[in-house]
Amino acid sequence: MDYFLYLTQMCGIFMILAMGLNLINGLCGQFSLGHAGFWAVGAYTGAAFSVFTNLPLPGFIILLIACLLGFITAAIAGLIIGIPCLRLRGDYLAIATLGFGEIIRIIFMNMDSVGGPRGFTDIPKLSNLFWVYFFVVLSIIFCANLIRGGYGRAIISIREDEIAAESMGIQTFKYKTLAFCIGAGMAGLAGVLFAHTTQFISPNNFTFMWSVIILLMIILGGLGSISGAIIGAVILTLLPELLRLLGPTVSEWRMVIYSVLLILLMLAKPTGILGKKEITFSFGKKEKA
Amino acid sequence: MSQVLKTDAITMQFGGLTAVDSLSLEINQNDLIGIIGPNGAGKTTAFNMITGHYLPTKGNVFLNNEKINGVRPAVITQKGIARTFQNIRLFKDLTVLDNIRIAAHSRCEYGFFDSIFRTKKFKDYERKIEEEAISLLSIFKMQGYSDHLAKNLPYGMQRRLEIARAMATKPSLLLLDEPAAGMNPNETIELTKLIRWIRDEFKLAILLIEHDMRLVMEVCEKIYVLDYGKTIAVGTPSEIQNNPKVIEAYLGSEGVENE
Ligand SMILES: Nc1ncnc2c1ncn2[C@@H]1O[C@H](COP(=O)(O)OP(=O)(O)O)[C@@H](O)[C@H]1O
Ligand SMILES: [Mg+2]
Repeated sequence: MDYFLYLTQMCGIFMILAMGLNLINGLCGQFSLGHAGFWAVGAYTGAAFSVFTNLPLPGFIILLIACLLGFITAAIAGLIIGIPCLRLRGDYLAIATLGFGEIIRIIFMNMDSVGGPRGFTDIPKLSNLFWVYFFVVLSIIFCANLIRGGYGRAIISIREDEIAAESMGIQTFKYKTLAFCIGAGMAGLAGVLFAHTTQFISPNNFTFMWSVIILLMIILGGLGSISGAIIGAVILTLLPELLRLLGPTVSEWRMVIYSVLLILLMLAKPTGILGKKEITFSFGKKEKA
Repeated sequence: MSQVLKTDAITMQFGGLTAVDSLSLEINQNDLIGIIGPNGAGKTTAFNMITGHYLPTKGNVFLNNEKINGVRPAVITQKGIARTFQNIRLFKDLTVLDNIRIAAHSRCEYGFFDSIFRTKKFKDYERKIEEEAISLLSIFKMQGYSDHLAKNLPYGMQRRLEIARAMATKPSLLLLDEPAAGMNPNETIELTKLIRWIRDEFKLAILLIEHDMRLVMEVCEKIYVLDYGKTIAVGTPSEIQNNPKVIEAYLGSEGVENE
């Protein structure tokens, strides 16, 4: 039962990660491959806060403060990395963010105070199903409200046509940086929840491979769709567990299976499971796609 | 009449190529001015310098007597220059309404957190923007198309939407880059009326690049002719029509001999 609880929490954590990357990549159109780096920043910041400060406060308050700190530090890391990188386009941006993501990981690898390569142990188990999904719901509301307002539309216009957006008075660099920072902050938040769920983090949790997997989640679900990011996160969190049931050899071929799956999906439906559509629960007006 | 735009001998060089050579334009309020010239004459490049997409190699651009070269395109738009593109650049996968609302965003009065918490200020302003957008669409005869995707509109309507979108930034100077390109004769006649009507209704200045001679001659009060980047003639449509240099540039030297 613990195992299922753990998996359900991991699904939620990846939903937040995927929604964050969806903001950067799916909505703003900026190809980032450094998401795992921001995840790490949040995880280490949150863990360091709850382990080192040891405040005499109830657990959930410590968790909430850790979440806030994790969000802010990751968003600041996003700002520091975004300002030089967001001047680049397409593949160059992807390579630069990939590099920075790895640099972040290697910094933690060399920080002995947080365990270095051995990892950060004995993190209190402050997170639970409730708090994970509390933040999932918060993230959904945040993203949904963002895209239904002028700021979200400005971000989306950059994905549609950056030159036209700039010509319509949208300060594209400002909005790219905004999307990048919020997306990074959300990864940081997911990191705090992750650290306080698994109680152990190490630099190996945050390799470049995870940036790719989170990217796969949003491509699978449909780039630019919040509900797509959620579906993609669930599928790619549960799939390796299903494969594990089929035996160790199948499990070893995980990445190959992902790739085949992705190729098949791209052949059948190039825009992902949902395309840019959203699953909504309102009966009023239907969104046209 | 107050001066809206002035370019002071702007020059654009790409490596060894001088795409625009010392172009000096003067545009006053309510003017309707054309730039013509053969393909590759440097017309679009001139637009790109005026709108801040290119930094002129030499010379200055003044908008309402304020120097604007080196200012970012978005800020220039906020200061009052709006444009369309030679190859339509709509936000294709977004609705017609969103195309217009995005152009109105730089005047947005609510803050980021108003939009996240959907405050009253946010809702009131969104309603206002939507009403403005819808009335703009009806001016451009596109009422009822608000929630169509831009890419699904017929070609002529896409061109019109691009002009409507530029108008949503509330410009004092509108730049149109070959607005009639790809239109059929009927659409071109409609467009000619529309352009004149926009100028009169909104009291702004329009600078127009066009290949369709009939449109330019009919609608513009003053025409600049570019050839290989150089300004070879400036004048009223009738002056331009009879200018031997212009005839030569358009028809080649044999054209002149044949006349
Ligand atoms: N970004 C650029 N880099 C290099 N050459 C350019 C660039 N933009 C335009 N040119 C060149 O400048 C000349 C003028 O182009 P353009 O302004 O597009 O002409 P047109 O009058 O047809 O609009 C052409 O020779 C074109 O190849
Ligand atoms: Mg051109």
